[in-house]
Amino acid sequence: MPELYLRLLNRILTPVLLLLAIYLLLRGHNLPGGGFIAGLMAAAAFQLQILSRGHDRVRSAIGPYLNSGIGLGLAVAICAGVVGLFEGTFFKGLWFKLNLPLLGYLELGTPVIFDLGVFLVVVSVATSFLLGLSRVSESAVIIGEGSVSPDLTDDPAFDPMETAGETSREVES
Amino acid sequence: MAVSANLLAAPVAAPLLIAALILLLARWGGRRLIRHQIALTALALCFNFAVALLIFQATAGQGERLVLQMGAWSAPYGITVYGDGLSATLLLLTALVALAVYPFAVATIDYHRARMGFHPLYLFLLMGVNGAFLSGDLFNLYVFFEVLLMASFVLLTIGAQPAQTNSGIRYVVLNLLASTVFLVAAGIAYGTLGTLNMAQIAERLPLASPAVRTLFAGLLLVGFGSKAAIFPLFFWLPASYHTPPPAVTALFGGLLTKVGVYTLFRSFTLFFPELLISWQPTLLTIAGATMLVGALGALAQPGIRRVLSFHIISHVGFMLMGLAVALSGNKLAIGFGLGAAVLYLCHHMIIKTALIMAGGAVELHMGSDRLASIGGLVTRHPFLAFLFFMAAISLAGVPPFSGFVSKLSLLQITLDTRHWLVSGVSIFASLLTMLNMMRLWRESFWGDYKRPSRVPTRILQSSLRQRLMLTPIAVLVLLSLGLGILGGPAFRLSMRVAQQALDRQAYIDAVSPAATFSTKPPSHFVPTTATVPTFLTENAADLARSPFVPSP
Amino acid sequence: MISLLLAFAVGSLFACGAYMIMRRGQIKLILGLGLLSHGVNLLLFGSGRLAEGRPPIFLDKDSYAETIAWSLPADPLPQALILTAIVISFGITAFVIVLVNRRHTITATDYVHGEFVPLLKEGDPFDFSEPSEIDQYDWLAYEVDEVYDSDEPLSGMPPRPPSEHDESAAMEEDNYQWP
Repeated sequence: MPELYLRLLNRILTPVLLLLAIYLLLRGHNLPGGGFIAGLMAAAAFQLQILSRGHDRVRSAIGPYLNSGIGLGLAVAICAGVVGLFEGTFFKGLWFKLNLPLLGYLELGTPVIFDLGVFLVVVSVATSFLLGLSRVSESAVIIGEGSVSPDLTDDPAFDPMETAGETSREVES
Repeated sequence: MAVSANLLAAPVAAPLLIAALILLLARWGGRRLIRHQIALTALALCFNFAVALLIFQATAGQGERLVLQMGAWSAPYGITVYGDGLSATLLLLTALVALAVYPFAVATIDYHRARMGFHPLYLFLLMGVNGAFLSGDLFNLYVFFEVLLMASFVLLTIGAQPAQTNSGIRYVVLNLLASTVFLVAAGIAYGTLGTLNMAQIAERLPLASPAVRTLFAGLLLVGFGSKAAIFPLFFWLPASYHTPPPAVTALFGGLLTKVGVYTLFRSFTLFFPELLISWQPTLLTIAGATMLVGALGALAQPGIRRVLSFHIISHVGFMLMGLAVALSGNKLAIGFGLGAAVLYLCHHMIIKTALIMAGGAVELHMGSDRLASIGGLVTRHPFLAFLFFMAAISLAGVPPFSGFVSKLSLLQITLDTRHWLVSGVSIFASLLTMLNMMRLWRESFWGDYKRPSRVPTRILQSSLRQRLMLTPIAVLVLLSLGLGILGGPAFRLSMRVAQQALDRQAYIDAVSPAATFSTKPPSHFVPTTATVPTFLTENAADLARSPFVPSP
Repeated sequence: MISLLLAFAVGSLFACGAYMIMRRGQIKLILGLGLLSHGVNLLLFGSGRLAEGRPPIFLDKDSYAETIAWSLPADPLPQALILTAIVISFGITAFVIVLVNRRHTITATDYVHGEFVPLLKEGDPFDFSEPSEIDQYDWLAYEVDEVYDSDEPLSGMPPRPPSEHDESAAMEEDNYQWP
């Protein structure tokens, strides 16, 4: 069981990290920030969860959605490029302004949608990689103690799809 | 028919989109979902083939140059996607190879690997290869190289058998070193020329100092050359190509080294055509050594796929020989050498894929590819034996097939330019290829039927599976036959492609309508005295010396 | 002066990376790859002009002209290139770590090469000796199962390597663990 302070910290820090991620995502199109950084920030929040609650709980909660998250992010990013075809060129940025009462104007456009796709891909890839590594480290500990469990060693902590996601992210950044 | 430049985005975007859909829909379980994956992947491959045909028809057929400025940012600032005859030819062949290998892959890839994401990875690899062919920007080229490398890493090691992980580490490390060298070249290009756009590099490079030019060319030769598996840098290829399933080997053998060859063709003809004259002895030496090492290495190999992977190296030597004499002409035209090399590239991609698939079918029937422990397959599978034989003699260069035409044209230009030694070496390597192919056929098909005792019976009796495996091989062999019979039109087409690729000024003009480029280099850029490339004049002298040209 | 320092840093990173790659341990191999990619990143950084106190991004559109007149902005392109290169090397490092870990669980050794690891013969292109027992674990031990929609068990299945057995059984029952 993890330390008490880690669990306490988790409660405070996770919302802050996720909020910061959203902030970075939304300001990213012409200021420092963007989908990649925001995705890493959100993955840091998930890593905090893994550390404080154990990887099994996190895996059972979000594990099945990670591959779908990679696919969704990629599809969203490509679709943001396809939208540009309406203006004549692939990946041309289109912008429109939303008037929000009390808050002012919100500029939305295809770069934001693209960033959203990148964000989804990065979160999913980084989290699945962190989950895989946590399993690897656990099995390494068991081997080190001399009681080799066939279940853990034979388990492929080797999911090629994690790296396939890496592949796709390189295109976007 | 005019084709919109936006079509150039499709070979990259469509496979990526379909792969994303597969990832989105598939939750990695259930055989039915894998059938859906197969259907989606086949759809993407067919679409990719159609798009490649359109682009080929517009560029190689009608001589256009398609330029897509991503997001409508003009050339030096945005990312340029460029398609001309050379890229379109390779795009079409890539689409063909991917489409042909896929039924074979569906028939032979096991459930375990399909579940681990074989099908989306196939599309990721296709996307990376297409992007590398279409890229008009040095850094973008690097990114696509990494994309295709990453997909190939995973395809190579998927299933994680011990042999696969061993070869995977070598493959990963050597290819990463090559990418590092290429990235250093890109950094030096940006630092000295102030640009990464390939057209602008081509425009500014004649003004740069000779040291920068030589360094840049050398780094590119090492980086691209080790992707293409030229002589001292080929060790990753025979160490790894025999370990993955045969379908993956066929795909790699058809596509991966060809990306390196394409980038060598593109960079040398666009950036430093004068080096093709002054470095000609070096390039020819490397080409000869590559041919010889590949063929001799194949002679010593014990298994079918190892022999075939060494032959890939040998054939890269032939293409490099074509590049070294690319600017030389004979009585037909200037650029005859590059045309012959392009034709050889087409022949190689088609027939090598067919041959590796046929060898893979033998391996799957026999349970092993070690020549010492198999034999006599001709009595059980006569059609496979026939196809293997046809593909083998086409690879060796026997007349009615495409191998004959392409080797003949390469040999003609080498003899015309009086490179006796390297042409002798190429004839010797062809003879060794013939010998090897006969050895493969005799050991695996002829004689008494035997198979290694410790390997249990393969389960390949389903007739659907048989047809899926043999049909693409037959189609590719027929294509090779057609390319050989229609040698004249095919060669004229590849000549047109080569001359389009050799026209540097048209490339620069197509990418940058004169207004957008400032010819003023960055402030820290120190121009030397402008050196006008003299390759055309030298070439004319070369032409006059040729014994095949009637003296005026 | 600072350029010279940068050049020394790039050179020493490359040298250390090359040295680490050529050593035998796999962890050292990974570290060497990391050092090499850092060297390239520094080189890319140096390919823009080295400038002090010049931001690449201006927030205030109105004073843009004045700022330009005061000093040229730093070149933002090398930073974008470095970011991309970092992302790529991150992905590749992740892959290599997982690959090395997988290989470690199979061979229970850290060494990349050595005659006391019989498995490595398989990857050696110039090794023509007879196949050893370990070749049974070649990829050919994999099953070519029937057409995907048939659920009945296959007869004449090859004896699968023990490492794969449990996992595939788990997959057949569709309770495969997520990564």
